[in-house]
Amino acid sequence: MTIKNLDSIGIKLIRTLQNDARASFKEISENGSVSLDTIKNRYNALKKSGIIKGSTIILDPKKIGQGNLVFFGIQTIHNYAEFVMNILRKIKGMYVVTKAIGRYDIEAIAILDDIEKIGETKNIIGDLQQVKNVDVDIFVDKTLLCPRNFEFKEVNKNK
Amino acid sequence: MTLDEIDLAVLNALKKDARTSFRSIARTLKVSPDTISKRYDRLKKTGIILGSTAVIDPSKIGYSFIARFGINVKPAYAAQVLEKLIQIPNVIVASKIVGNHDIIAISVIKDFQHLCRLRNTILEMANIDKAELGMWIDTMELCPHYFII
Repeated sequence: MTIKNLDSIGIKLIRTLQNDARASFKEISENGSVSLDTIKNRYNALKKSGIIKGSTIILDPKKIGQGNLVFFGIQTIHNYAEFVMNILRKIKGMYVVTKAIGRYDIEAIAILDDIEKIGETKNIIGDLQQVKNVDVDIFVDKTLLCPRNFEFKEVNKNK
Repeated sequence: MTLDEIDLAVLNALKKDARTSFRSIARTLKVSPDTISKRYDRLKKTGIILGSTAVIDPSKIGYSFIARFGINVKPAYAAQVLEKLIQIPNVIVASKIVGNHDIIAISVIKDFQHLCRLRNTILEMANIDKAELGMWIDTMELCPHYFII
């Protein structure tokens, strides 16, 4: 299955699983008035094509003591972005490290225990000779995530 | 609530694949499927597990990169702007932040025209002072484990 033939059943299946990855295929098929086999086949095709990469539970980081989400915007000396990125990837808690275009050469998101850890991490990055500047933004309150905002239908029409 | 080994094993198994059957988790841990089912219910009830979602590969459905917006708003309007932002199609994460900006928004982007339209949409919103932009050029990964719906 590719986006070219991602049909309404496939899109509906993705939408349902985005809301609740554990939804039973039996219920999905009954609600959509299609056969259980159709749903199973669509799911397997979506996984095989890589459109659905997998599924996961969403946790409340505070309740499991996982601290704060932190954004790092980093400016590096020309040509040293890759070098700095490799160091960043080794820092515990970093889970997005990417080259960027814009104000920063590298943007990263980490989960760090507390303010001290955030300061410490900022210093580790800032102390690197190849780094010109580090900006830090700390996520506060609830982070809103809306995977349902992915637009499938529009993609479909354009292709 | 303190989590014991069984709770953690349930969380880890479901983080890797939210569709893992309780039966197979039970088998690995050598406990009954009922135990797993009860633990799962408790983890949901206490709000540790907020929900589950399918992980989609944006590059497979016509997106080419991710953009991050750092947004400054007029004082006291952050909550209001945030609510509106998350309703914009393709914006997948939005949060209040403390630092250089007041709000961060992360969006999946199809092409440069799309990016320009989205930037205009954000800038035209009420109570926004400025929006700075960063384009992520080598990652389409945004694992949602830690984001709260």
